[in-house]
Amino acid sequence: MTWELFVFMFLAASALVSALMVVRSREIMHSVVALATCFVSMACLYVMLNAEFVAIVQILVYVGAVVVVILFGIMLTKREIMESERR
Amino acid sequence: MNLYEFCNIIIVWLVDLVNNLWYWLGDFLPWVFGDFFTWAGDLAASDGHIAAMTILLEVLVVLIVAIVNVLNFIWLDRKLSGRIFDFYGPYYVGYRIGGWLQNIADGMKLFVKEIITPKDVDRLGFVLAPVIFVSSSFLILATIPLSPNFGVSTNMDGDFVAAGVLFAFAAFAIAPFSILLAGWSSNNKYTLIGGMRSAAQMMSYEIPLLLVVASVFLLSGDFSFVGVVDAQHDVWFAIPLFIGFIVFLVCIAAEVEVTPFDLPEAEAELVEGWTTEYCGMRFGFFMMTSYLRGYAGGALATALFLGGWQGPALIPDEIWFLIKAYCVFVVIEWMRWSVPRVRVDQILNLGWKRLMPLAMLNLVIAAALKTMGWF
Repeated sequence: MTWELFVFMFLAASALVSALMVVRSREIMHSVVALATCFVSMACLYVMLNAEFVAIVQILVYVGAVVVVILFGIMLTKREIMESERR
Repeated sequence: MNLYEFCNIIIVWLVDLVNNLWYWLGDFLPWVFGDFFTWAGDLAASDGHIAAMTILLEVLVVLIVAIVNVLNFIWLDRKLSGRIFDFYGPYYVGYRIGGWLQNIADGMKLFVKEIITPKDVDRLGFVLAPVIFVSSSFLILATIPLSPNFGVSTNMDGDFVAAGVLFAFAAFAIAPFSILLAGWSSNNKYTLIGGMRSAAQMMSYEIPLLLVVASVFLLSGDFSFVGVVDAQHDVWFAIPLFIGFIVFLVCIAAEVEVTPFDLPEAEAELVEGWTTEYCGMRFGFFMMTSYLRGYAGGALATALFLGGWQGPALIPDEIWFLIKAYCVFVVIEWMRWSVPRVRVDQILNLGWKRLMPLAMLNLVIAAALKTMGWF
């Protein structure tokens, strides 16, 4: 097993597990943290493909902007509806 | 000799030293470990291991330089605020060097304090937020070289990270996420309001900042620090892009949350903003990292607008870079201690209605200069 394969397996597992956590997590903020982890893992995978520019733009746009916009969306909307459905 | 070659020499010497010890141990204790020591020694002397260790050592050197600069900045900030408010600032600890040791004393105090995690916080976010904030801020400095010979490079030729300037701004852009996470997970209305304000402010000032950086890229035609600085050989970009330079300074001041824009930690309204629930070394890290971002902002302004490490050859390049970065920091601090805090609506109006059009105008000027063939 080469080092590249090892690093790739780690990053892919991180991306998959965090993507699963986005869906499965109870607390919606934890979903957002998992989403950011997923985006960063994808950026690292782009670096492994020698596409540094795409990786940097992935971090700049997705982690820097999209995740924060999603956070604003979560915090500015009502959460009682979801909490009543949970019980 | 660049930093990579220097670190490489040290690492090769260290590996030789350790390998001699291991081979000697292998001769001495063959019946216990077999040829384990020989195998481990060969592995340690392989090219990949030496390259990895060299880059790690480079990172360590750059980190130490950054931390010493941050200590200087905190000291300079306290002395300057003292002079502006007509008192002395720290002078008792380390009397002969102007109170410089006061920062070390404060750091020791924060180190020995108990780290309390309040009962009702969201543990994941509360523990993770400082980690993301501190690590992403240190990541900014990984790409900023102090001179073509002093920075984290990846091979013998001293090539730096591709698209280094963009990478620095990408690392800058991670912070609002961690701040919002810290504010929410502390389970306290002051921290939540502080986190929301901080994220809104950082998001809205990121756009003019990146537009100004785009105009610099347009003039220099390169994404790397070396390319951007070399393009300023004849004239600093602060002269043709004067508007952009001012917009950049204001945006950096808003990004690192110094006083005219320090609404997120407005201590009269919100206790300490989004850091209220943090104590001990976690708060110490937040504090240190905010100054670290100030240093990164000064270094970025230097590299993008003030000609980077270029200057008369009387002093080394690295010192030129640091002198310019310190000057930018002093200007920001001067603004910090002289101007009162603005209101939330004013800060967003300034960001969207004043700085955005100015940044666009700056981009148009840069495009015009480029088309006229002056750059």
